[in-house]
Amino acid sequence: MASGLDSFVNHTVSIITSDGRNFIGTLKGFDQTINVIIDESHERVYSTTSGVEQVMLGLHIIRGDNVAIVGLIDDELDNRLNLANIKAEPLNSVVH
Amino acid sequence: MLPLSLLRTAQNHPMLVELKNGETYNGHLVSCDNWMNINLREVICTSRDGDKFWRMPECYIRGSTIKYLRIPDEVIDMVKEEAVVKNRGRDMKGGRGGQNQRNRPAARGNFGGRTGKPGQGGRNPPFQKQKPK
Repeated sequence: MASGLDSFVNHTVSIITSDGRNFIGTLKGFDQTINVIIDESHERVYSTTSGVEQVMLGLHIIRGDNVAIVGLIDDELDNRLNLANIKAEPLNSVVH
Repeated sequence: MLPLSLLRTAQNHPMLVELKNGETYNGHLVSCDNWMNINLREVICTSRDGDKFWRMPECYIRGSTIKYLRIPDEVIDMVKEEAVVKNRGRDMKGGRGGQNQRNRPAARGNFGGRTGKPGQGGRNPPFQKQKPK
């Protein structure tokens, strides 16, 4: 079955999980339940008082149940961001 | 690459498993199945707030309770070779054994039934109606 994620493989993606966290990494694979593999990943932690904190994580499998959004990142645009200057409220978790 | 292939390759490697309730389990992966149920050895469980710890020699985690798994970086390089070999195996089975074995008996059965018994059986009324016309 064709999935929209096919074209994201080996590209940088941003994954918003249902607990409101944001993981960035290279999408290495996925399956029919949207379990995903992200390589060289980091988490971006947002706060209103200081800039975005990046936590290096490495290789991850995120279970599909927990994936809310998978977005394709424009590497060039992303590299131009000054994360230290970005302040934002952290996301809330998904309400079921 | 399939997430569960990567997980299978990570057997005997250390990993961190975070559950949906926020607890984390650090241990060596012993085994896993197609539902992501996993067996860990030499486990350290950490509470949601990271303030309480439990050591246990072994534990079993139901796949559906997992939020994510953190796996050593080098494991992804080990899965590639395996994946190629496995895909070749699957292609062989699908192309030769599976399709042919399913199609042949069905096709022969249908033809035999129609041509061999023109005057009997449930499928014949259409034939008989056409003949008088």
